Amino acid sequence: MPNHRRNLANRCNALKSTGPRSVAGKRASSQNSRKHGLNSAPDFESSLEYQALIDLIAEEGFSAFVCADIAAGLLNYRRVMDAYYDTYTSPEPVNEFMRDMNVNGSIPIFRELLSPSGSEPGDVRDMAAFFASMQRQEWRKGGPVSRRSADSHKLIRYQRNGIARLSRAVRQG
Amino acid sequence: MSVDNKVSSLLPLLSSPRLLPDESEAEFESGLQSLLSELDNPSPLAVVLISQLNECLWWIKRHAADKELLLHEAMARLLSKAGSYSETYDNRKVSEALEHYLDGSADKDESAWIDEILVESKLALPDLRIRAFKDAAKHIKMVDDLIHRQHQTMRHLQRSIDSIDYKSRLIKRMDLELAALESKQSVKGA
Repeated sequence: MPNHRRNLANRCNALKSTGPRSVAGKRASSQNSRKHGLNSAPDFESSLEYQALIDLIAEEGFSAFVCADIAAGLLNYRRVMDAYYDTYTSPEPVNEFMRDMNVNGSIPIFRELLSPSGSEPGDVRDMAAFFASMQRQEWRKGGPVSRRSADSHKLIRYQRNGIARLSRAVRQG
Repeated sequence: MSVDNKVSSLLPLLSSPRLLPDESEAEFESGLQSLLSELDNPSPLAVVLISQLNECLWWIKRHAADKELLLHEAMARLLSKAGSYSETYDNRKVSEALEHYLDGSADKDESAWIDEILVESKLALPDLRIRAFKDAAKHIKMVDDLIHRQHQTMRHLQRSIDSIDYKSRLIKRMDLELAALESKQSVKGA
């Protein structure tokens, strides 16, 4: 079966899927929407780095309270920047098949794929319309660079809060 | 304490900025060293903040390159839509050919192909660039926001470094004043 035809057949079969059934599958898919983990509360106080940072910053003449604030601010800022790098380097992958397919040119294949189930001509049109709308969504998201810019853009507020917290902690000392 | 010692005291406790596979670590390091050399005897905390500042500069560089890539991506998309193919538009092939075409390294076939698509789409290269800019405007704006964020972050870091510097000068000045008072006191006592 030619590659394009096989891909289309796979897409059509995937539309019939009703999601994961096993406990492990459900557990895995429950994490599908997890993006960067920056919304979860960090526990810096129990880390070894935190205590070591406090000790080193204290040598610069800051009070214990300010040292704790600066150490937490630094660790938090690094956490945000690491997530920023991860988001930048692994954007949502481009669905090249969907982006590059010629929907109108694929109508004969849709017809062929649907014919064993005794489909109406309207079904072929519906399927073509469905793939066209998926393709429009794919185009709207753009290529890899557009995607990584859009994904990184979502982390701007975390960066703003992270640096504001660090800067406040340093200046109050 | 030398600057190298200061770098090795606090920085290892924090995750270090990561580079992309095609980026030069030597260039990154030389940027950091030139920033450090601008400060007179920086404290370990100031060194950490300067390292973050250097990372911001690096991100600005990356995002500025992304703006060009976005334009290229949009140009390739426009061209691939204009080409008449039987089943697929093959965006990647157009993108690679266009890249070679623009940097002058395209072979005869690639040049002829891109010229053909340009004729087919009734566009000259400058028009293509303008249309691509219009198409990619939303994402270019996002990249501008990202660059602006890095500038804001740098401003915060700069203020923090200034405050540490001012604090250390203040402490030094108070120490000197205290020493002067003590010596005055001892002279009076004698």
